[in-house]
Amino acid sequence: MSTKTSRRTFVKRSAAAATGIFVIPSIIPSSALGMGGRIAPSNRVVMGAIGTGSQGMSNMNDFLALKNSVQFVAVCDVDSSRLLKAKERVDSANKNSDCRTYGDYREFLEKEKLDAVSIALPDHWHGIIYTEAVNHKLNVYGEKPICRTIRDGQTIVAAVKKNNIIWQTGCWQRSQAHFRKGAELALNGRAGKIKYIEVGLPDGGRGIGTPPVMDVPPELNWEMWLGPAPKVPYRGVVHWNWRWILDYSGGQMTDWAGHHIDIANWGAGLEFTGPVEISGKGVYPPEGIYNAPVEYDFLCKYENGIEMRVANSSRLKMGMGTTWYGDLGWIHTDRGNRLTASDPKILEEVIGENETHLYVSENHWQNFVDSVKTGKPNIAPIEPAYRAISVGLLGEIAMTTGETIRWDPVKEEIIGNPRASRLLSRPYRKPWELPTI
Amino acid sequence: MKNKILILFLAGLLSAFLPSCNSSKIKTLVITGPGTHYWPESAAVTKQILDETGLFSVKILNTPPTADDEALFNPRFSKYDLVVISYEGGPWNNSAKEALSEYLINGGGVVVLNSAVDLVINTADTLRVSDRSDLEIRIQPIEHPVTAGLPVRWVQPEDVIYKNIRPAGEDVQVLASAALDGQAGRGQRPSPVLLSKITGKGRIFALMFGTPAGENVKSVHSAGYITILQRAAEWAATGKVDQVVPSDFPTAAGPVVREGFSAIDESAAFENLKSYETGKSTKYYTWLQYQLQKANGNEEVLSAYEVKMVELLKDPVSKNDAKKLILRELSWMGTDYCVPAIRELAAVQELTDEVNFALERLK
Repeated sequence: MSTKTSRRTFVKRSAAAATGIFVIPSIIPSSALGMGGRIAPSNRVVMGAIGTGSQGMSNMNDFLALKNSVQFVAVCDVDSSRLLKAKERVDSANKNSDCRTYGDYREFLEKEKLDAVSIALPDHWHGIIYTEAVNHKLNVYGEKPICRTIRDGQTIVAAVKKNNIIWQTGCWQRSQAHFRKGAELALNGRAGKIKYIEVGLPDGGRGIGTPPVMDVPPELNWEMWLGPAPKVPYRGVVHWNWRWILDYSGGQMTDWAGHHIDIANWGAGLEFTGPVEISGKGVYPPEGIYNAPVEYDFLCKYENGIEMRVANSSRLKMGMGTTWYGDLGWIHTDRGNRLTASDPKILEEVIGENETHLYVSENHWQNFVDSVKTGKPNIAPIEPAYRAISVGLLGEIAMTTGETIRWDPVKEEIIGNPRASRLLSRPYRKPWELPTI
Repeated sequence: MKNKILILFLAGLLSAFLPSCNSSKIKTLVITGPGTHYWPESAAVTKQILDETGLFSVKILNTPPTADDEALFNPRFSKYDLVVISYEGGPWNNSAKEALSEYLINGGGVVVLNSAVDLVINTADTLRVSDRSDLEIRIQPIEHPVTAGLPVRWVQPEDVIYKNIRPAGEDVQVLASAALDGQAGRGQRPSPVLLSKITGKGRIFALMFGTPAGENVKSVHSAGYITILQRAAEWAATGKVDQVVPSDFPTAAGPVVREGFSAIDESAAFENLKSYETGKSTKYYTWLQYQLQKANGNEEVLSAYEVKMVELLKDPVSKNDAKKLILRELSWMGTDYCVPAIRELAAVQELTDEVNFALERLK
C-alpha cells in the first residue's frame, strides 16, 4: 500500500522537478519495487520503445492515450531524427526532459530497467531483438509479423515460453468487436461446418525503379539498420519501403498475414496448428529494385480438411479481409467495421452459454497493460501470432520453389524437401546471430 | 485404311514440325484506314505483334476513304478465321456491317482495337479521351481464357483511356478497367479497357487501350498490351488460349516496355543475365526465377539450370551484381555441384556476404 502512495507522489514530484525544486534520478519500474514481479493496479507501467518509426510512434501514442496507465522513459532507434521526435513526444507526456535515448538496442537492453518494452522494427530484425528483449525478462508488446522466417519465429516462441514473460502481439484487429464477433460466429458453426476460408491481403504497390546509390543521411546508422541483412549500398529504400524487399520482408503478404490470417485462424480453431500442404504462385516485378511478390495466391490444406486460400485482394470477389465458408453459408469480416454474412440472420445469432466464447479485449493496448499488471493472459499471445505468419512464410516458400510443400505442424518442419527446408531460415550477416534461448 | 491413318499421322507431324506452314495458321484480316487513323503504323504493328506468336498469317486491308460504299468496301470475312478491326473512319456500309454480324454468328472471331464498334461499346456517346499518363489496369476476377493467369493489377505506360466508355449491353463482359496512374480510387470511375462478348457461335474481344501518338509508342511496346492482344486474337479465332503468360508481364510495381515486340529470347536469357548490373532491367532474373518455379522440383530440370548458373559464376565477363542474384537462387536450389564454384568467389570482397549467405544455406 505504501508503495502505491509513494509512487503516486513520486510521479507528481517528477513533474515538479522541472521547476528545479526536486531532482529525481530516474523512474524505477514497479516490477523492481518488490511487487513480486507485478505492478499494483494503480501504478503506471514503465515502458521503453525500440523502433520509433510510424508504427512505433503509433503504438506509443496508443499507450499514452491510456490515461495514467503507462509512462515511457526511454526510446531507441537507428535514425536519430526519429529518435529525437520520440523523445520529444515522451518528454511532453511526462512534462520533463528526462527521456533517455539510445541508438543501439544492446545498450538499451543493458541499461534500462523497465516493466515492458514496445518494439516495432523491420521484420529482418525481429528474430534477434525480440529474443534478446525476452531474454532480458522484459514484457514485450511486439509488432506483427513476429518473424521474417520460421526459424526466427520458433526461437522467439521458445524464448517467450522459457522466460515466462508477458508477450502481446500488435494484431489489434483482435480487440475490435466486429472481428471478434465474426470469428466467434464462425467458430460456433453459425455458417455451418467451416470447409474453406479466403483471406484477402493488399496488392503490392507501385515500384520506384532502382534509385541511384546515395549518401547515407547523417541521422541514419545504415549499418545498424541493415544489421543481419546482407550489406547493400544505400539507395534511400529504408523507412516504410523496406517492406518491398525480400531481405527485410515478404511484402504486403507477410506484412498483413499477422492480421487477416490471424483472424481466419481465430475463427476456425487453427490458432495452435498449421497447414499440412501448401501450394501457390507469386507474381514478381520484372523491373526495379523491389523484389517481393506484388501478387500472390496460395492454398493451404489442413489436417481436418479445411482449405485456406490466401491471395492479394484484387484476385478475390470478397476483396480484403477474412471469409469463412461453411456448409450453411459464409461470414466475412474486414477493417472499417465490416461484418457481413450470406444471410443477415447469421449476424443476429447469440452465442449460448455453453458454446465457445472468445477472449474479449476492447482496447488492445489497455489489454497489454492489464496483462502486465495482473500476469493474466492477454488477447494476443505469441503462439497464434507465430502460427499466423507461418502460413504466410510457408506460402512464400511454396511460391519461391514452385512446389507443393508438405508441412508437419507438430514438429514444425517441412517433410521430404531439403530444398524448401533451406528456406525456413535466412542466413545472418556476420557477426549477427540469432541469440540462444 | 492403314494408309489413310499413316497420311493423317504424317500430316500431324508436319504441322508440328513446320509451325511456319501457312495452312495451319489462323488466317487473319486486319482492317485499317481510311488513312486518317490515329496512328498510321498501327496496322503494321498489329501484324508484327501477331506474327511474333507464329500462330497467325496476317493480311492488312486498308479501307477506301469512305467505307460507306458497298461497291468499294465489302470484305469477304468468311475467308478468315479472325478479323482485327483497327479503324477510326466513318460508318461502314450496311452490307459490310451485316456481313460482319453474319460472320460472327457463324463462328467468326473479331478483335477490336481502339475502335468504336457498336457490337461491344455504346457508340451513341462521343468518346472523351483522357490525358496521357501511365495507366493502372485492373483485371476483374472473372474467369476468361484471355485474362487467365495474368497479374490482376499492372501498369500500362503512357497511354490514354476513354473516360465515358460504356459496354454495348449486358451480354458484354468487362474484363478489365483502367484509371490514370495514382488516381485509382480517388473518385475517378475506372474505364473499361477489355471487353468480351459471345455472339452466336462467334467471339468478339475489344482492347480499348494501346494508343500511341507520334513518337510516343511505349503503349504498344508494353509487354502487357502485346500479351493481351496475342491472347485475345487466339481466343477470338479458336475459343481457347494455349499461349503461356510471359515472365515479363508487368505488375502493379511498374510498366514493362519491350524494345521490339518479342518476348524474352530464352536462348539469350543467360547471356543477358551475365551483364546485369543493379539499375538495369531485372527481367532476365525474373525470367530465371519463373523457370526454376516452373520446374516444380524436377531434379533434371533444376540440374540443367544449375549447370548454366555455375557457368555464369565462372564466366569472367559476368558482373558481380549478376553473380549476387545467381547466388541467391543457388542458395535454395543448388546441390553439391555448385559449392566449389561458390567457394572460389569467396575471395571477391564485394561478394563476401552473398557467398556466405549461399554457403550457409547449402551446408
